[in-house]
Amino acid sequence: MKDLKTVMAFTIKDMIKRKSFVVSTIIIILIIIIGLNIPNIIKLFSDDSSSSGNTRLLVVDSTNLFENKLNELTNMNLGYEVNSTEQNLGYDDIKAKIENDEIDEAILVEKNNKNYKLRYIVKDMTMVNSMPKELINAINTVYTNLQISKLDLTDEQMQSLTPKFEYSIEQTEEQKVNGNIFAMLMLSIVLFYAIYFCAYQVSSSITTEKTSKIMETLVTSTSPRTIVLGKTIGIGIVGLLQVCLFVIVALVSAKVCLEPEILDSLLDMSMMTPYLAIITIVYFVLGYSTYALLYALTGSTVGKPEDIQSANTPVAILAVIGFYLSYFTMMNPTSDLNLFASIFPISSPFCMPFRVMMGIANGGEVALSLAILIVTILIIAKVAIKIYSNAILNYGTKMSLKDMIKIYKDKNN
Amino acid sequence: MGLKLENVSKKFIGKQAVDGISFEVNEPGVFGLLGTNGAGKTTTIRMLLGIIKKDSGEITWNNKQVERKNVNFGYLPEERGVYPKTKIQDQLLYFANLKGMNKADATKEINKWAKVLKVDEYLPMPAEKLSKGNQQKIQFMTAIIHNPELIVLDEPFSGLDPVNTEILKNVIIELVNQGKYIIMSSHQMASIEEFCKDILILNKGKTVLKGNLKEIKEGYKANRLEIVTDKNIDNYIKEYKMNIEFSKNNEYSIKIDSEDDAHQLLQALIENKILVNKFEIKKPSLNDIFIEKVGE
Repeated sequence: MKDLKTVMAFTIKDMIKRKSFVVSTIIIILIIIIGLNIPNIIKLFSDDSSSSGNTRLLVVDSTNLFENKLNELTNMNLGYEVNSTEQNLGYDDIKAKIENDEIDEAILVEKNNKNYKLRYIVKDMTMVNSMPKELINAINTVYTNLQISKLDLTDEQMQSLTPKFEYSIEQTEEQKVNGNIFAMLMLSIVLFYAIYFCAYQVSSSITTEKTSKIMETLVTSTSPRTIVLGKTIGIGIVGLLQVCLFVIVALVSAKVCLEPEILDSLLDMSMMTPYLAIITIVYFVLGYSTYALLYALTGSTVGKPEDIQSANTPVAILAVIGFYLSYFTMMNPTSDLNLFASIFPISSPFCMPFRVMMGIANGGEVALSLAILIVTILIIAKVAIKIYSNAILNYGTKMSLKDMIKIYKDKNN
Repeated sequence: MGLKLENVSKKFIGKQAVDGISFEVNEPGVFGLLGTNGAGKTTTIRMLLGIIKKDSGEITWNNKQVERKNVNFGYLPEERGVYPKTKIQDQLLYFANLKGMNKADATKEINKWAKVLKVDEYLPMPAEKLSKGNQQKIQFMTAIIHNPELIVLDEPFSGLDPVNTEILKNVIIELVNQGKYIIMSSHQMASIEEFCKDILILNKGKTVLKGNLKEIKEGYKANRLEIVTDKNIDNYIKEYKMNIEFSKNNEYSIKIDSEDDAHQLLQALIENKILVNKFEIKKPSLNDIFIEKVGE
């Protein structure tokens, strides 16, 4: 136990003192802060006229078809600041205005025999290939209202023409799904990267000890079991603290930097319950343990740095399969496949927290998922420690799966 | 008291690494474990340190079975290794803690040995900034810092310059004077001859020679004459049908069948008024014995 604490303490101290760790942590924190400040940065570099974030749309209606009524589009929350003009401006005039940054876009109303043609003129068509449907609908509505107002209808007749429907949505599935997909995807992605990269550190640390030949001195000082567990726990603690730091920085930055409406649309803070926080941390710890022990096993089988990638590939493939199984079934969270992903040990750490977040995971499912994951970890730990104990002194070529099976079966080891 | 190996064997996948070796180290001093590359020395060392399990036989230290958890030997492996990015002080403290020392005692010992080995100025530096020789001295410190009774040194002098070799030799002599048991494995036969009272030579996992080094050498008859004269004596050597192993500036190393041949040559040189500055009949060196035993 004393040795375990010593290995853990050394691992933690060694890791947080590394320049690469400090630099990468600072870079990620800066990326989070800058990323959440992008709307503010854009605003800072934009001029006053576009500081509202609305697109400046000029309607050139020399025929006065809309009778300046299109200015009403500004109040329809479509993201446009509309100005109408009856001046006889042509395409070249509009092009000059766009190039001079007086406007962003324009609609040129032209009469063609008995019909009218609306030319939508934008700076470039990278992001749009036709006039937005919302804009078309809004223009149609304004035009219709204009024509109706000329019919001299009574208020009652006017009201009967204006639809006052109440819209709602219901599902036929019994399970009710809460939350927004952005928050769920973020949770799943953060868990995957946190688990994967922390676990990878274990492999990297073990391989460094082997390739730097310090291992032989180390195994005469303490048992391989202590080394594996001490390293795994030590790196796990650092990883958990690092992830917590990133989450705190992200939440504080989001609160400080983002407009309340944007923040609410991204994250529904009412979903962030203590139960979800505990479940997320538990699955991080268990998911990390699963992959860290697998990486300890593969890391111990290589003797040369150039073999690390190929030795770790099977674990990386497992992790990616687990993540995508979880990620793609999120689109249909009430499906049996998503339930399977939340129980299957290679995908459950990425999947179950988001099922809990959506409120569709019952206690039984969580208990079953945790039990399977814990049993899996115990089995992996037993195999990993046994192979690690015998493989760490192998400095030759990378061990094959056949060699590993022989080592595991050998009672003398 | 001491270390005892009895009929110890170890087989790896498809290869008998160690085959029934036995030896005892009953008193403090340096025991030489010799053998060619792949002879089984490292496997033997790993078994007696409890790092790997033996297939059969007995290994005891002070009459107790050797297992990883109940021994606290010192070990300088042949594969040199340090944590490249970690400060020397921190890694020495780490290993001392793992060997059961508290921080205060460990720091005291680190400072003491760092001064003796002349590496005290490097303690606050990361290991990657040290020369290979200094890194080796740091690793030597990890082997002795916890004051173990038995120390295993695998090629302790390889890669060291003459000054550092001398420093390390003095430390080993000091450790022996303190009553330590040392197992030394080396290919530098001069070092083995200098330090070891008893030796064991392994070849392909089997013992080919073991015992007291002095007695082993006494069992061999003289086979070489070293002679320095003031003139070229090639003709005399040919006359007595001897083979020159080496000659330079009238210094000769000559292979002889018996001491009588050497005396007859000396007599002939004196009769012919050739000045003999050096005349030494030599028994085979450990190097010769080693090559004879394992150099098929």
